Amino acid sequence: METLARLVTSSIGRKLLVAAVGFLLCGFLMTHLAGNMFLFVGEKAFNTYARVLESNPFLLPIELALLGVILLHAVVALYLNLTSLAARPVGYAMKRSRGGRTWGSATMVYTAVLIGVFLVIHVKTFKYGVRPSPEDLYGLVMSYLQDWRWALFYAVVMAGLGLHLSHGAWSATQTFGIDHPKYTPLIKGAGLAFAVVVAAVFTAIPIWACWFLGGAR
Amino acid sequence: MKVTLRVWRQTGPDGPGRLVSYEAEVPSTDMSFLELLDTVNEGLIAKGEDAIAFDHDCREGICGMCSQVIDGQPHGPDKAAATCQLHMRRFKDGDVITAEPFRAKAFPVVKDLVVDRSALDRVMTCGGFVSVNTGAAVDANAVLVPKDDAEKAMDAAACIGCGACVAACPNAAAMLFVGAKVSQFALLPQGAPERVRRVLSMRKAMDKEGFGHCSNEAECEAVCPKEVKISNIARLNREFIRALAVSDG
Amino acid sequence: MKLESKTPDGPVEKKWDKARFELKLVNPANKRKFEVIVVGTGLAGASAGASLAELGYQVKVFCIQDSPRRAHSIAAQGGINAAKNYPNDGDSIWRLFYDTVKGGDFRAREANVYRLAQVSNAIIDHCVAQGVPFARDYGGTLDNRSFGGAQVSRTFYARGQTGQQLLLGAYASLMRQVGLGSVKMFSRREMMDVVLVDGAARGIVVRNLVTGAFESYAAHAVLLCTGGYSNAFFLSTNANSCNVGAAWSAYKRGAAFANPCFTQIHPTCIPVSGEHQSKLTLMSESLRNDGRVWVPKSSGDRRSPDLIPEEERDYYLERIYPSFGNLVPRDVASRAAKRIIDEGRGVGKTGLAVYLDFADAFKRRGVGAIKEEYGNLFDMYHHLTDEDPYQAPMRIYPAVHYTMGGLWVDYNLMTTIPGLFCLGEANFSDHGGNRLGASALMQGLADGYFVIPYTLGGYFAASKLPKADPGQQAFKEAESGAAGRVKKLLSIKGKRTPVSFHKELGSLMWDNCGMSRNAKGLSEALARIPKIREEFWRNIMVTGSGSEFNQTLERAHRVADYLEFAELLVRDAFERRESCGGHFREEHQTPDNEAKRDDANFCHVSVWEHQGPDRDPVLHKEPLKFEHAHLAQRSYA
Repeated sequence: METLARLVTSSIGRKLLVAAVGFLLCGFLMTHLAGNMFLFVGEKAFNTYARVLESNPFLLPIELALLGVILLHAVVALYLNLTSLAARPVGYAMKRSRGGRTWGSATMVYTAVLIGVFLVIHVKTFKYGVRPSPEDLYGLVMSYLQDWRWALFYAVVMAGLGLHLSHGAWSATQTFGIDHPKYTPLIKGAGLAFAVVVAAVFTAIPIWACWFLGGAR
Repeated sequence: MKVTLRVWRQTGPDGPGRLVSYEAEVPSTDMSFLELLDTVNEGLIAKGEDAIAFDHDCREGICGMCSQVIDGQPHGPDKAAATCQLHMRRFKDGDVITAEPFRAKAFPVVKDLVVDRSALDRVMTCGGFVSVNTGAAVDANAVLVPKDDAEKAMDAAACIGCGACVAACPNAAAMLFVGAKVSQFALLPQGAPERVRRVLSMRKAMDKEGFGHCSNEAECEAVCPKEVKISNIARLNREFIRALAVSDG
Repeated sequence: MKLESKTPDGPVEKKWDKARFELKLVNPANKRKFEVIVVGTGLAGASAGASLAELGYQVKVFCIQDSPRRAHSIAAQGGINAAKNYPNDGDSIWRLFYDTVKGGDFRAREANVYRLAQVSNAIIDHCVAQGVPFARDYGGTLDNRSFGGAQVSRTFYARGQTGQQLLLGAYASLMRQVGLGSVKMFSRREMMDVVLVDGAARGIVVRNLVTGAFESYAAHAVLLCTGGYSNAFFLSTNANSCNVGAAWSAYKRGAAFANPCFTQIHPTCIPVSGEHQSKLTLMSESLRNDGRVWVPKSSGDRRSPDLIPEEERDYYLERIYPSFGNLVPRDVASRAAKRIIDEGRGVGKTGLAVYLDFADAFKRRGVGAIKEEYGNLFDMYHHLTDEDPYQAPMRIYPAVHYTMGGLWVDYNLMTTIPGLFCLGEANFSDHGGNRLGASALMQGLADGYFVIPYTLGGYFAASKLPKADPGQQAFKEAESGAAGRVKKLLSIKGKRTPVSFHKELGSLMWDNCGMSRNAKGLSEALARIPKIREEFWRNIMVTGSGSEFNQTLERAHRVADYLEFAELLVRDAFERRESCGGHFREEHQTPDNEAKRDDANFCHVSVWEHQGPDRDPVLHKEPLKFEHAHLAQRSYA
C-alpha cells in the first residue's frame, strides 16, 4: 500500500505513471496505425477490418480501458503542470533557453490540448458519425478526408502528435531511468524516428485520400 | 564601454519589486560582472542610496552563493560558469543587461537579487549523507572502488548547490540537485547500506519544499556551472523505482 | 597573563595518548546536558559540529553564508596530506611531522604538529567512509600526488576540488545531525561578540544578517572556527565574507592573539588585471608538479613567450633550488618570484607575473593526462584571463592566501579564555611561519574530527559550569555594545564607502607588510593605520538601516575590525626582527637572499594581550622547544 501511495503522491511517481501510460498509448498508436493501413489496401479490406474489430466482444472493455488510460495520462500530466506553475509563482521578466528545451518539449501542453480536442472530434466523426451504409466505415472516412479542410486539420494534428512524441517517447525512457552513455543517444534517435514515422504515416492518409483519391475538393 | 543594467530591486521578502535601470561605465572588459555591480554600488553609496544586494562570496565559481539570472539565463550566458565567472568581455558597448534573482517558490527573495535557498539544506538533512560517526571508519583502502565509479561519483559530487538547475527548470524542479547527491552515494559502496532509505526520504523532502516535477528538458544540465548531467536524474529515477520495489511496506 | 600550553610530557609520540588518557570523560548520559556553540562551518567547524553532536552534545552551529556548505574551505583545490605511505615511497608519521615543522620554519609547537601527523590517517579513512570521491587508481585503491615542500607523494585529492569534497563530507555529516535534531543550524548570522560569565566563555551575540536583529545564545563552551584574516590585505584569495571579526572580538575580551604577522603568500595565483579587482584567484600549487616556472633571462624582454627561445629562458626555481626545483615551499617560491620581478624580468601586460609553462608536460605525459588531472584549473584560468593555457604558458603571481597566525590556543585548543576554543585556520598552532601545501585541510579536519571531541569533554568534566542564559546581564551588555557600534556606523553619514577604506588599508598592508617587510615600511604603516581608522570613524558612509539585510553595513563592520587588527599584525611583524617562513624581514637575509632565522632571540610564539582600546597591547612569549625536529637552516637547494 505504501508503495502505491508513494507512486501516486510523489512527483517522480506521478511522472512514472504518465510515462508508463505514455508507453501504452504508443502501443495503441502503433495498432491504430497498422489498422489504418487497410485504408491503403482498399475499401473492401478496410471495411472487413472494421467489421471484425467491431464484432469483437472485448471491444467495449478495451475502449473503456483506453479511455481510462488516456484520461490518466492527461489528468496526471495536467496536475503536474499545475504544480509546476505553483512551484514558480513569480516568473522571470526575461527568460532564455540555454538549448536544453526542444520545440517538442516546450510545447508538450499545447500539443496535448490539441490532441485532446482532436480525440473528441475524431471519435465523434468516425465512431459515432453517420456512415453511407452500416458496413461502410471506409465511405465515412473518405467523405471527411477528401475535404481538404478536414485533411489539413488532420495533417496539423498529426504534426502536433509527432512533436508531442518527439519529446514524450524519449522522456518516458528517461523517467524510467533508462540511461547509458552508449545507448541513450540511440534511444533518443529511436524516439525521434518513432515520432516522425507515426506522424508521417498518419498524415499520409488524409493526403493520399484528399489528393490522390479525391482530387482535392 | 557603457552598458545599461536592469536590476531587480525588491526591499524585502514581501516588498514590491521592479526592474530598475542603471547606466554603468565599464572601465575594463577584464572586470567581472560582479565587479561591475560593485562599481555601481560604490556610486550608489556615495550618493547615499541603498546598494544593490546580491549574494556572492568566493568569486571563483565554487561556493555556489551566486543566485542571479542574467539576460534570462541562470548565471548568465557562459557555459560551465557561475555568475562570478562572467566577465564584461562577454558584452559589448551599449548592451542592456538584465539581472534578476533565481525564481522559485522554494527560493523566496530576501532582498533585490538575494534569495533564500535553505530548502536545499533541508533536503540534505533527509539523507544527503552516509551515516557514519567519526572514528568508526575502516582503513581507506579496505573497500575498493572502481576508478570509473569514483569518477562518475565525482562528476555528481561536483555540484555546488547553487540552485541554478531549479532556476532554469521550467517547473522549478530540484531533480538535478537531488539526483546528483543520490547518484554520488549510489555509485559508491559506502552509500549502499542506506540506498533505499536515502532516495525515498530525499524525494519526499524535495516535494515537501515545493519544487516542481521533472519534464526531462535538460535546461538544468545546460546551465549547471559544474556541468552535472541529467544522467544523474535517470539514476535518481532508477533508484526510486528500485526502492519502491524492494522497500518493506 | 600566564601561558600554559598544557602539552603533556613524555616522548612526542606518546603525548597525545597520554593526554587522551588523562583528560576526564563526560558520562554518555550527561553529554546531552552540555550545550556547545560552534561558529563557522568550514572544515573545522562542520567537522567539530558533527562530531560533537554524534557524541551526544547539544550543538548550535552558526555561519555567515546562506548555507553551511559555502564556507571558504570549499575553494581549496589541491589536496590533503596524510602519512598513509600508500605509494611505498618512504613516508611515515615522523616524516610528515618533520616536514611540517621544517616547512613551518621551526615556529610551530612540536607536540601539536606531531599529533596532527598522527591523526592524519584517520581523517582519510573517515572521509572515504563519508563517500568523499577521492581520486583512485584502476585497481580501486586511492591515488596520491606530490605537493610543494615534500619529497613524497602523500597528498590525497579529488580532482582540483579536494576542499569542496571534504567540506561537503563534513557538511553532510552536519546535516545528518540537523536532521536528527542534535544540531541547530543558524545561517546568515555574523558573530559580534563572545560573552563571558564568571570569566568563562558562555555564549555569543550574533547579528541576524536578514533581519538585522541582535540575538544572544548561551552554551557551556564556544568554539571559534572562523578562518583566517587574509582579507586584511583587501586583495587575497579568500572569499569576500572571510573576516577577522569573531577572533578579534574574542581578542578584545581577553583571548590572546599569536603570531599575527605569519601570513602566507601563495605563488600560483592569477595576476591582478586592474583597479576594479575585488579578489584574487588561486590555482592549486599542484600545478607546479608538472608546470615549469620561468621568465626571460634579460629584463624588459617583452616578446611573446613562444618567441623566446629555450636558451633565453630562466627556469629560476630549477636553477636556484636544484633538488626541489619547482616544488619548493610556497614562501620560497613566492619570494623568488618577487625578486625576479623586482629585477624587471616580470612578464605580461603589467609585468607583475611569471610564466608557468606546461609545454614539457604536454610532451612528456600527453595533453590528455594533464587535462584529466588539472582540467578544471586550466578551464578556470582560461575563463578568467581569456587566454588558453593549452596554447600559451599561464601567467602567475603571488597573492595573500592563508594566515598561520591566529588566536593562541593550548594543546587542547582552548584560548586564554576558559571555555573558548579555537580550531582550524583561526588558531595559530600547527603551521608555524609557513604552511605546507595540502596541510590546511588536514589541520581543519584534525581539529574538528579528532582533537576537540576529546579535549572539550576534558574541559566539561573538569569545570563547574552553572546554567547560563541569554537573559543574563553579560549578554545584555554585549548586545548593547554590538548595537551601539552598528548605530554609530550608520550615524556618521560621511563621504567615503567601506570598500574605499578597505582598499586603502589593503594596499598599505601589501606594500609595507606583504611579501617582504622592513623596519621603515612597518613603522610607516604603524603610523598610518590609526590615521585611516580615525578618518573611517569620521567619514564613513553606510546607507540603509540596521534592521534589514544590509551588505554595506556588514562590510563597514568588518573593515572597522581590520582597521584595528591590521595594526596588531604590523606591530607583530615589526617586533619579529628575523625572517622566518612567510615573514621576510629584508634586514635579515642570507647572502643568497633566503630567510635568515634568529633562533637565539625569536624561537618563540609572539602572544599579544589586549589592554583596552587606547593602550598598546602587551607581548608575551611562549618559548618553543625542538627536541625531535632539530633546529636547522631550511634548505631546499
